[in-house]
Amino acid sequence: MISTLLRKNISAWQLAAYSVACLVGLSILLISINFYADIRSAQSQDRQPGNYIVLSKPVSLLAALGGSPSASNSFSPAEIEDLASQPWVRRIGEFTSADFNISAAVEFAGRGLSTALFFESLPDEFVDTDLDQWHFDPASKEIPILVPKDYLALYNYGFAASRGMPQLSESLIKQIPIRIAVAGNGHYDVFPARIAGLSSRLNTIAVPDSFMTWANSYYGDKNDVRQPARLIVELSSPGDPAAARWISDNNLDSSDNNAASGKAVYLASVVSAVVGTIGVVIAALSVLILLLSMFLLVQKNSGKIRDLTLLGYRRSQVAAFYDRLIIIINCAVTTGAIITCILVSRLWTGILKEFGVDGNNTILIVLAAAAIMGAVTVISVASCRKMIKKASR
Amino acid sequence: MIPDVFSPEDVGESRIWLKEFTFVRGRHYLVEAASGSGKSSMCSFIYRNRSDYRGSIGFDGRDAKSLSADEISDLRCHNIALLPQELRLFGQLTAIDNVRIKNKLTGYCSEKQIIEMFGRLGIADKINRPASLLSIGQMQRVALIRALCQPFDFIFLDEPVSHLDENNNRIVASLIYETAEAQNASIIATSVGNQLLLPTDNINHIRL
Repeated sequence: MISTLLRKNISAWQLAAYSVACLVGLSILLISINFYADIRSAQSQDRQPGNYIVLSKPVSLLAALGGSPSASNSFSPAEIEDLASQPWVRRIGEFTSADFNISAAVEFAGRGLSTALFFESLPDEFVDTDLDQWHFDPASKEIPILVPKDYLALYNYGFAASRGMPQLSESLIKQIPIRIAVAGNGHYDVFPARIAGLSSRLNTIAVPDSFMTWANSYYGDKNDVRQPARLIVELSSPGDPAAARWISDNNLDSSDNNAASGKAVYLASVVSAVVGTIGVVIAALSVLILLLSMFLLVQKNSGKIRDLTLLGYRRSQVAAFYDRLIIIINCAVTTGAIITCILVSRLWTGILKEFGVDGNNTILIVLAAAAIMGAVTVISVASCRKMIKKASR
Repeated sequence: MIPDVFSPEDVGESRIWLKEFTFVRGRHYLVEAASGSGKSSMCSFIYRNRSDYRGSIGFDGRDAKSLSADEISDLRCHNIALLPQELRLFGQLTAIDNVRIKNKLTGYCSEKQIIEMFGRLGIADKINRPASLLSIGQMQRVALIRALCQPFDFIFLDEPVSHLDENNNRIVASLIYETAEAQNASIIATSVGNQLLLPTDNINHIRL
């Protein structure tokens, strides 16, 4: 009976205007959230190294002519601290180079190959291979080695092709037994080794940090404390122009051969943020329409609201009518926006699938929509109660 | 107690303004006064829909101004009934819906009892007519039935028979009297001359 009484002055036009505006705003917002989540997951699933850059100092003429390399080319602790304080830096890893002589021997396809080699190591969390395989056990003595993907390509299309050697697949190369001879500090040992993985992030031949720490102390010169010459940096936002600016300001070299994809992701993030902001503005304006429309409705009904409270109706009983109205409209808008968002996102999920990325953010979208509209509903209901309190006095 | 808009000279010989006065449950009061002497204000102050007065009103010793909105709602459903002078019916609802909207809140009367009251007051044929199409005398009786659809300790009737003839006055008065006596409640009726003709001598006449 209260609803028959209060329904009289509802303006269908105002509520329809709110519903449409809020639907448009919320849909745009959800679409931009969905798009952002998709490009983010595309980036992580693709294992794009755009998140990482390797920094080094340019090789000076003096160093090239045989001056002390460690003095001019390494990073001092103060420099590392300065880098760590930059907002675009999430983590820094230091490369440790081997302080001893290494040579490797391989025997396959009936031929023996032997070469002098270098090792570097870096903290395990920067290594893009299966970490279960990535440790050195002094008992078994087997050293896992990480080789850049490019080396395999160099071998397959450069060396093997010209020398008539067989080409190797990624899985096959991991099977090849390698012997590593290590010498230094009056010791000489031979270790078995295998290629544990191929890295697209690291442009070096890497061994586990645990092996390097042990080997440097055993084969290396204990008095020679060296500073790292190369640093690997994980970026908090890939492609951030601030990073490129800082690197060039400090006159450093960076191996950011994947910067293009990082930049693309960064630009796409900026675009989705801008679009999302537009969605927020439209949605916020639509909430203003709702509040204004509710205000007019309560104003028009203020006499009836007052009479109902005079009969003994509680404010909450009167407000329940308006609450129901707001909740029904907002539920409809939320459902509509979720459906719109999912339909629109089909435009690009097909393209992403071709890249091998399965961007399914339905749960995220539903949660985001529910959270946003939940907040809108709470705000509307609260201000509606305030209006009713005023009207019933 | 005195309304904010009154000055002490305005009240004259009043028994209520600027005095201490107690309405006792079980006794009936006829409040006689000239227009503009504050009858409706008194009803509104006690019914808690206005509080523009100086002084204090107590319910069993509790100051009325300390009641919360919900406590006031409960009071209006269970303890104090009011027939306002301006009636305050919802014009778009039918006569009986105007009564039902109150009875739905209190659940005090059955549908049958409500229809009986319409019959007794001679407006049974107006049950389904929108309240806005009734005469003022008819509206007055619909509003009275609405006021009776709740338990009460006191019923305030602000000029309840101002638009009724003597015959209807007596019918209305006896219905009110029976309902009040059944709950041992008090009737407090105001008038500017056309008094409610209660069938009893247990009446306090007060000059406002």
